[in-house]
This record gives sequence, C-alpha cells and structure tokens, in this order.
Amino acid sequence: MSVEAGLIRALTGIVGRAGVVATLEGRLTYECDMHTFYKGIPDVVVLPESAEQAAAVVRLCRGAHVPIVPRGSGTGLIGGAMAPQGGVMVSMTRMNRILEVDIANRCATVEPGLINLWLSNATRERGYFFAPDPSSQMVSSIGGNVSTNAGGPHCLKYGITVNHILGLQMVTGAGEVVWVGGKAQDRPGYDLTGVMVGAEGTFGLVTAVMVRLLHLPEDVKTLLASFSTIEDASETVSAIIADGIVPAALEMLDEVMIRAIEEGIHAGYPKGASAVLLIELDGPRAEIEAQAVRIEKICRDHLALELRVAQNDAERALLWKGRKEAAGVIGRITPSWLLQDAVVPRSKLPQVMREMLAISARHRLVFANVFHAGDGNLHPIICYDDRVPGELDRAKQANEELLHACLQLGGSVTGEHGVGLDKAKNLPYQFADADLNFMARLRRVFDPDGIMNPGKLLPDHPACGEGFRPVAPTLPGGTWV
Amino acid sequence: MEGLRACVHCGICLPQCPTYRVLGEEMDSPRGRIYLMRAAADGRIALTPTLARHLDLCLGCRGCETACPSGVPFGSLLEATRGQIERRGIRSPESDQGTLSLLLALFPYPDRMAALLPALRLYQGSGLQALVRGLGLLAPFRRLRTMEALLPRVPGVGSARLEELTPARGGKPRGRAGLLVGCVQRFFYPDVNAQTARLLAAAGYEVVAPREQGCCGALHLHSGRLDDFRAMAKQLVASFRGDVDVIVANAAGCGSALKEYGHWLQDPEAEAFSQKVKDISEVLVDADLPLGELPVTVTYQDACHLAHGQKVRAEPRALLRRIPGLKLVELAESDLCCGSAGVYNLVEPGMAAELGRRTAERIRETGASIVAAGNPGCIMQMDRACRALGLNVEIVHPVSLLARALREAP
Amino acid sequence: MAVSAPALREALAAIVGGDCLVSDPALLAALAVDGVTPRWAARPGSVEEVSRLLALASAEGLHVIPRGSGSSLDCGMPPARVDLLLDCGRLSAILEHSPEDMVATVQAGLSLAALGAALGRHRQRFPVDPVGGASRSIGGVLATSATGPLRFRHGGGRDLLLGLRFVQADGTSTWGGSKVVKSVTGYDVPKLLVGSFGTLGVIVEATIRLHAMPPASGAWLLSFASHASAAAFVAGVLDSTLQPERMVVLNGPALKAAARPQARAAVAISVGSSAEAVESQGGDLRRLGAGLGATVSAIPDDFWLELGAVLAGPVRLRLAGEPSKLCFWLAEMEHLAGEASVSVSALGEAGSGAVRAALGRAALDGGWLLRAVASLREGLSAEGGYLVVERAPREVKDEVDVWGPISPDSLEIMKRIKRQFDPSGILSPGRFVGGL
Repeated sequence: MSVEAGLIRALTGIVGRAGVVATLEGRLTYECDMHTFYKGIPDVVVLPESAEQAAAVVRLCRGAHVPIVPRGSGTGLIGGAMAPQGGVMVSMTRMNRILEVDIANRCATVEPGLINLWLSNATRERGYFFAPDPSSQMVSSIGGNVSTNAGGPHCLKYGITVNHILGLQMVTGAGEVVWVGGKAQDRPGYDLTGVMVGAEGTFGLVTAVMVRLLHLPEDVKTLLASFSTIEDASETVSAIIADGIVPAALEMLDEVMIRAIEEGIHAGYPKGASAVLLIELDGPRAEIEAQAVRIEKICRDHLALELRVAQNDAERALLWKGRKEAAGVIGRITPSWLLQDAVVPRSKLPQVMREMLAISARHRLVFANVFHAGDGNLHPIICYDDRVPGELDRAKQANEELLHACLQLGGSVTGEHGVGLDKAKNLPYQFADADLNFMARLRRVFDPDGIMNPGKLLPDHPACGEGFRPVAPTLPGGTWV
Repeated sequence: MEGLRACVHCGICLPQCPTYRVLGEEMDSPRGRIYLMRAAADGRIALTPTLARHLDLCLGCRGCETACPSGVPFGSLLEATRGQIERRGIRSPESDQGTLSLLLALFPYPDRMAALLPALRLYQGSGLQALVRGLGLLAPFRRLRTMEALLPRVPGVGSARLEELTPARGGKPRGRAGLLVGCVQRFFYPDVNAQTARLLAAAGYEVVAPREQGCCGALHLHSGRLDDFRAMAKQLVASFRGDVDVIVANAAGCGSALKEYGHWLQDPEAEAFSQKVKDISEVLVDADLPLGELPVTVTYQDACHLAHGQKVRAEPRALLRRIPGLKLVELAESDLCCGSAGVYNLVEPGMAAELGRRTAERIRETGASIVAAGNPGCIMQMDRACRALGLNVEIVHPVSLLARALREAP
Repeated sequence: MAVSAPALREALAAIVGGDCLVSDPALLAALAVDGVTPRWAARPGSVEEVSRLLALASAEGLHVIPRGSGSSLDCGMPPARVDLLLDCGRLSAILEHSPEDMVATVQAGLSLAALGAALGRHRQRFPVDPVGGASRSIGGVLATSATGPLRFRHGGGRDLLLGLRFVQADGTSTWGGSKVVKSVTGYDVPKLLVGSFGTLGVIVEATIRLHAMPPASGAWLLSFASHASAAAFVAGVLDSTLQPERMVVLNGPALKAAARPQARAAVAISVGSSAEAVESQGGDLRRLGAGLGATVSAIPDDFWLELGAVLAGPVRLRLAGEPSKLCFWLAEMEHLAGEASVSVSALGEAGSGAVRAALGRAALDGGWLLRAVASLREGLSAEGGYLVVERAPREVKDEVDVWGPISPDSLEIMKRIKRQFDPSGILSPGRFVGGL
C-alpha cells in the first residue's frame, strides 16, 4: 500500500506543512528504532500537535486503508517504531506537555511525547516521582513506555508501567477518541486501561496519559557487590529473593559489560570482577538499614569479593548512569549485536546463566550481560560482527537456543521490551493457538481494519487469521447438536 | 568514517540536541544526522541539498558528544561531512550560504574588522541606532535586522589597550602565557582581553599577546571549509612559536578549535601546540587571586565549546564561587546551546532566535541579575535574547567578574 | 435449542458426573441468584469439564453464571434467567507453589483462607484481603476485582496477577500472561478478565505474585473528632515518606460494628516491616495523629479479619471520586443518611479513595435509597467518580441501574469486546455495566 500525493496533501491539511516529513532523506531517518536490524521506511511521517490532529490522521488513513505506525522517541528495542509496510508514521514528539500535576490525588496527566525523566524532574521538588524507569528514561517517551508496558530496574519493587497508569486517551484504529480510566479508581466495567497499556500501537494512538505519582522514599541505599564467578552472583540473587526481601532494584553486570561501561562512563564499577550486583534499597530508613544487614550477610555467604555502599548522591547517580547507559556503550565493544529480553523464574537464574555460558562457548560469541536479575529478566547482548561471514547466523542461533532454554525453565519471551516485529514469531513458543486467537480477536475490537502498526506484536500465524476456530472441546455423545 | 559505526542508535543524545528540542524531528537530531551521514557513506543515498540542509541546521554545539555513551565523535564527523558537501558545491536553497560567505570573509581578517568599527561606532554614537531600532526601519530586512540586533556596544577609541607584553605582577612566577586575542573578542570585547591579561599577571604569569596573530579558523572548520581552516591554523601556530608555557584562550569556540589542531593538521608542531592550550578558567582555577567582595547574584551558561568541546564545566563555576559575596545560582539546562554557535545566529536567525528565547526564559527563572558565559558569541546572543524578552540582566564573561573583584597588590 | 430438558440434564451429567450436577429444586432454590433459581448447577472437577460445559451451553444457548464462594453473586443486575450455575468449588487445588520464586499457580475455586494457610507455612501471603472475605474464592476475588486494606501497599488483584487460564463462552480454554513476575509477551489479557464479573469467560486458574510476611508488624487505631481531622491525617500520611501496609477510614457506626470505642471517624493503620521500622514508623504515625487531636490505641492482628461486620446489611454501596475526597464523600453520604435516620457504616480505602458502605434497612423506606443514589452519583460524576450498588433487594434493583452510567465511548468498546468473545451472550448476560 503506497501513499499517494493526494493523501500527503490531506495530511498537510491536518498537521500543516511543518508537520509533514515527505523527503526521502527525512523519512529514511525514521526507518528503524534502536533495533536497527529491522528497517522499513514510512511513506510519510506526520507530527501532530493535538489529539484532534491525531484523530483526523487516523480517520484519513482508515478511509484510505493506509497503515499507521506510531512512534515516540524511537528508543524501542523490538522493531516496533518502524514501517515494514510503509504507510504513515505518526511521531508524537511534539505532543510533550505536562497537562496537569495533581499532588493531592498523587497523579499527573501528560502528553505521550513527554520524556519519562522530565516528569520526575518536574515533580521531584514537591517530593514525588514517576516510578517506571526504563534505562532509556532520559530519552524515551511516556507514550512509548505505555505502549510497550516498559519496565526498568526499579520495577522489581514498584511494578511495571501498567501499575502506574490511571487512565489514558486513545485514538483507536476505528477512529474513536476515547478516555478510559481516570482519577477515580476501580471504575466498574472492563479494565480497558489495563489492556490498552502494552498494546504497542496496535490498538491506536495514545494521545494523553494519566499516571500515578509516588512519594519519594525517606532514604536510599545503593550497594555494590562483586563476585569472582557469575554463578556466585546468581546464587546471591536467588537467595535474596528467597529471603523475602524486595529491593528497589537488583541488577547484575558481567565482566564484559563492566569493562565497556568503565571505558565510556567511568562509573566506578570494579574492573576485573566476573560479576557485579547493583542492589538498591529504598524506603523508611529503619527498614532499609535492617534489609541492608541481611543482604550484606547473604552476599558474604556467597563469597562476595567486595561490598561497597555508595556514600553520597553523586556516587549513586554515577553508578546508575553507568547502568542506565549500558545499552549505549555497546558501540564500544561490538559493531553489531542482538539483545535478548527473556525471563526465567528467579530461582532458575544460576541454571540459566550456566546454560548461557555454554551457549556462548559453543557458538564462539561474546555475550555481554547487564540485566534485571531480581526479576529474572535477562538482557544478554550477543556481540557479533556483521562483516564476518557467518557470525550473524551464529548469533541468531545462539539467541534462539537461549530463548528456548528460558522457556523450558518456565519463562517468558519478553520481560519488558515488548514484542514488536522482532519477537512476534516467538509468541507461539509461549502461547497455544487458542491464546493467540484470543489476542488477534481482541486486536480487531480496537482496530477492525488492521491499519494500526501491522506486522507487529502478533505472528503471521493461522491462529491470528480470520476464520480460525480453535479445536472445539468434545461434547458428550447425543443427538442434540 | 569508523566513528559513524559506533552509534548504536540509542537516542540518548536527542534531548541534548537544541534543534531536536525545537523541531522534534529525527533528521534534525544527532542520531538522525549520523544516520544520514552513514547512509551517504554507505552509498544508500546521495549527498543532496536536502541532506545538506539537515546538517546546516546543526549548531555544532556537540551537546550530543557529551551525552553519547558510545563516544561517537559527532563534531569531527559533521565537520568532515560538511567538508565533502563543500567540496562538491552542494547547496541547500534554504541555507543562507551568502551571509555565511560574507561573514567568513569578514571576521577572520583584523584589518577588515578594524575598518568597519568606526562606522559602527558612529552608527551607535550618533543616535542613528536608537532611531533605527525605535522605528523598526530594518523590519523588512531579516538578515540585516538580525545582525543589527546582535551588535553589542562597540567599544570606544579609548577602551582598555592590551600591551603585547604584560609582566607578572604577583604571586609566585608561573611562567609565560601566550594569549589568543580572537577576532570578535578583540574588536567587540577588548576589555575582556585586557582583564584576562590582568588576571593572568596577578596569578603570576608573564603574558604575551603576539601582534601578528590572526584568526584561529574555528568558523571555517565548523563550516566545512577545511582548506581555509588549515591555512589559518598553520599561521596561528607559527605566530605562537616563541617560548610560552601555556596558550590561553578566553573564547570557548577558539579554544576548542586550538585544542583540535593536532587532530586536523596531523603534524607534531600542531600537536604540541594543542597540548599547551587551556581555557582561561582552567589556568586560573588553582591560582592565588586576591579577590574582594562582589555582592551579586550570578548564573552561569555553559558555552558549548567549553562544556562539550573542551569538557570544561567545573572550573568557571569554581572560580565564580571563589568571589566573596557572589551568589552563584544554577541555570536549568545550562549546557543547552543558546543559539549563538559561531555565526549560526546570523545564518539561521529563526532557529537561533527560538533557542535564544528558551535560554532567556530559563535565565528569567533563576532571578539572577548577571549571566556569565565564557564566549563572546554567547554573550551577544543572550544579550539580544534577554533584551527581546524585556529581561534586565547583564551578560558578561566570567573574567570580567573576576576582574571586578580583583584587589591587586599596590 | 431443540433439545428436551431431560436430554440436557443427561448431557450435563455426562460431563461432570451425576453427583456433581444439582437438579433437585430444593437445593437449587438455595443457590438462587438475586432470587432467580438456576435450572441446574454443575460442579466441574477439571478445566476440561468447564470447557465441555461451556461448549454445551454455547451450543444450546444456556445462560451460565460462574460461582466461586457465592459471596458476590448478588452483585450486578438480576439475571433474566439462570440455566446453569457453574460452581467452581471443586477446582480448589494449589497447582504449583514455588516459595523461592514467590509465585503460585492455583485453581479458581481455592479460598483465600486455604491459600493463606498453605502460604503461611512459608511465611508468605497473597496480599488481597477483601473485608470479611476469607472464605471467598481466588476466581471470584479476581472476577469481581475485590480489594481490601492491604491494597494500600501491595495493589489489587489486578497488580498481583501474572497469568490466567479461563474458558471462553464457546468452551475454548485460554491462557493469558505468564508464570514469571515480569512479562510483556502479547496483550495483557489477564487484566481484561479481572473485574469482568463472569461476562467474558470463566476463570479457572491463576498464577499470582506472592509477598513475604513482614518480620514484624504493628497496628493502631487513631480516633478523630471530625472527618476533617481524619482527612488531614490521611493526607499527611500520603504526603510523607511513611509506608504503612494498610490505611482505612472508619466512620462512627463502622467503629461500633467493629466493637471499637466511639468516635466521629477513625483511621486504622498498620505497618509491616522490620521491628525497628515498625517502631519508628509507628511513632511517627502516632505523633502525626496526636498533632491532629487523635486518640491512639493499639489494635490486635485479628482486627482486620473482623471488619466484615462493618459491611453487613441489606444494602451495600461502593463509591469513589477523586482519592483526596474520600472523607468528603463519606461525610456527604452520612449527611444524606442522617436526614432520613438511615444508618451508614462505612469503610474507606485511603490512597485509592474507594468507600464501601453498608446501609440500614431504613434506606429502603419511601424511595430514600433511589434518591440518595441519584444525588450522590450526580455529585460524583462531576469529578469522574461513580457509585455502584453492590447489594440491594431485588425490588431496588428493578428501579435502579446498580452500576450507574458508563461513558458512552468506553461502553461502545466494551460492547464490542463482549460481542467478540461471547457472541451468543450466554455468560452472565445483562448483569454487568450497560447491560453487558
């Protein structure tokens, strides 16, 4: 489906000349998100400045049967904000205002293009913050976070994006503008907010978001523990969780990653250790003091080499800068990479890490690890050089083997990055035909014509197609049917 | 272009990019510009006028370099690509190459600037400027209006003179400092040069400001006119060939270019030269300066070529904090470009004015009465932007505040 | 539909076994839903049996109402008819509990009490505690989106649910979500089923996130002379770094029902943490309360279990406006009731702002309840709030929409969802919002 000149004129009529990108040079820069492996150039990009404009764009495209691909800051890791079938990309970056901060009701309403961290920056002085903190939070948009139901290091304690969304406004694929949820909680009716979060743009365009704000904790304590083996670090993570402690964050970094971070950011991670745990506790001072004592003991029992507590805000901020920009320093260690986001039950962490070492050795590939160990959410970065023949294939094979290992242990395909184009094909590993079919039908409720972000989230699979019927349960024999 | 491959497309640079902040468009962001440069280098697209336009709109502030975890050398990639575009004569109709050429033919030539000054002095002194501004006579002429609005108070004939040699005056002798007087600085802000020499002398330096020094070529470098730049750089290196321990710049844009001579000229003398270059704040930060009370509230804007180009952030702030009575309040997003960017504000007045307005808004929020910035272009730009907002603040070089507070031994 | 009743009975019995099919009129009368006696009640013993029951019901157009403990069956509009009451009571197994992962997978008919006892052996718990709801089933708690005091710290069932197996109207057994604590693989289907009151599918299994029992805990009742003081205390705690586990507001009659000393209003609050933190936070909370004139008393652990009495009565309302207005709406309701000498025993969830209230029998006199509901809804709707009549005699339900109005845009989407997944309308038809 290509976009005709007439459609571009009509789009210009909606968003103005400055809101349309139609040149090849301009469009080219929108052909991928952070997963640059997947490319698809949109036929045109529009930048609406209001929900009304966004709705007009959707209605126009629906009438013309043209696909729509929503895009926030383009930091996704799943090939979500790219246009495999061309069509109209809708960039929400110009809708980035904070519409309301309501401290009495501990919430804020923002436009989708607002950068995640800017919201906390705006409310911190008043003692509040927006809890979801994907590592990209200094650039990713709240609309993008909502669409991918983003996680982050601190979602171990605070939960992922959906737990912090009170309501949202969406222009559905059917062209409706609907506000769901709001300040009054537990409204009767289906939890549309809950199911719209994480829809990855396949239901519609998110045009406003009402988020929960949390009070800043009384105190924060950040510990760094280093280990001589990845196994020791993994056992430590499992032991902390099994002890019933829920740290605010519990992250693991391996030697390869530490080296890259120290080269690029000089965050103060101990070079030479095989694995480091970054453990953050927050809450009432007396509570975290007691937890820290228990955690330190667990670390020592698991042969921690070094235990260090960040002495001040600057030191803590630097440790987190190193952690959060880890994805960005990859460029220092490898020309190309694949990033896995699978999850395993937390108790299976030592087992899966052993499996990972074996896979990496088998395929002669370097894996760099930086991940949310407390959640069992792995992020191995599989390094390869696209200029070396065969390396990409080996990397893909290793990636696939690791994914299967995780699923075999009872895990999940993606913990927080989302599905997008990248992982759609993997959904049948985790879901039966009936489950996929349910999702496909749910999608049709919001997007009857299939124009919203086609090709993403669900696989090209018979169960997702029209006319599919799951195998009917057997009925007792008889004459009535 | 190995540097292009280091970009992992993470986007951490986006919020640090002034043009992305205004436009919200990928191709006018560092990540997008790198993507275009890489696409051109890989032969996926041609170097077109449209591509050139997106690069022209870049201020070259290098805020993205500071943000980049992967260490992409954006500044030199941009300059190299601009060089390619320049060599092939690719022009975007929307970019004001005429003004750029005019300015590049004016600023770097001391004799031409010197010839222009009396006329400007007359324009301001005669009351003509007030008339022109009051009646909005330049309203129809966008470029001229922009330049006129940026024009600082042209110094009088009798303003402070900088001797070629200033002897050390106090403290323990610290050696010989060569002072770069700059082009804009020497004609529009000669006081800053004189104050710089005074402070260096008070700190124990013998200061030499070679008469024969010309332009550093920074503006040409940033515009991709690499041949002109190299010629100017060689000449400047030659003019500082004498025995100096440190070469001091007080204009961030110049200092940043001087520090990169080694990279661009690829010769040992230039490399040795670059090694000696320091911003004035780096030189003074640990010097003994007798400073007296100066009870003012000051905020500090990072000049891009100091903060991003030279990674100098702490020193100017530390110096200002040393002045007794001076209250330094932080400026929000102080490292976001004010829109000056060399001659950018003259060739891209629209974008520059918007960035200036945003900077002035943030300045207003601080409540400070003085803004310090270590680069003459930034001072002019913020001065105009604050005036446009009706904000009554003084924009000065940090050196000027130090000089005001300096209590020299009799 | 061309099948005779005996044939249907036979078919149902063939699925669940004769012992597990109730067709005795006397027994069925005791299972009436809002006064409507079901034709049959089946007690399936497996997911497969649930599937086959629903497939049959779909084919035959039987109206089905799923049942957990039966505690909330009277919530919703009265059914036009009930052909099959699908009792999940036999599905009460704990399928998996991995203490070291803090995750469990359980069948829907398992009671909160039984789950609590099993988890307690590992010093863990599923922190969903609707008042007076220990005997309620997990499936029912999720289907009705029930919450209790612990929601303040741990969120509701929606937030603790990781994965869900449910059977669609046509009998298709369907899984959504995952069995790990973090997953965004596909749509968050479990959220759609939570609070759907049996209209989209029958919940049969749930994978839930668990929490550790706190090492120590303490609880206090702070009694205030006015709603305003109680409101100030709640606002003070919310706008602080204190992190209680529970915080509920009780009005005078609620205190009486809970056998506590009389006051205009009180806040019951608990802290669960390390002993030191309980001590220090408890001190801060008491000081904050004392500053607002509160009388503070310690309350025992079983206080929370006995709160059920507070919400007993023929009429029960649930309402919420802006969370910060909790005490305002509480007072508003009391004011309306006071004029007609109707007793109101109310419990408010600080944080979420949801208020649950039991009204005395006098509420049914002279149409007072209908007027009060209309008046409160009018005020609440101005701030996006709502009021649900959770329990009322049949004659009241004939006069009032127990759910109240829903925004037409949202309702349109909800109707499309219902049509998509229950096209022949056999699952609790007409009982939910907007006639879904």
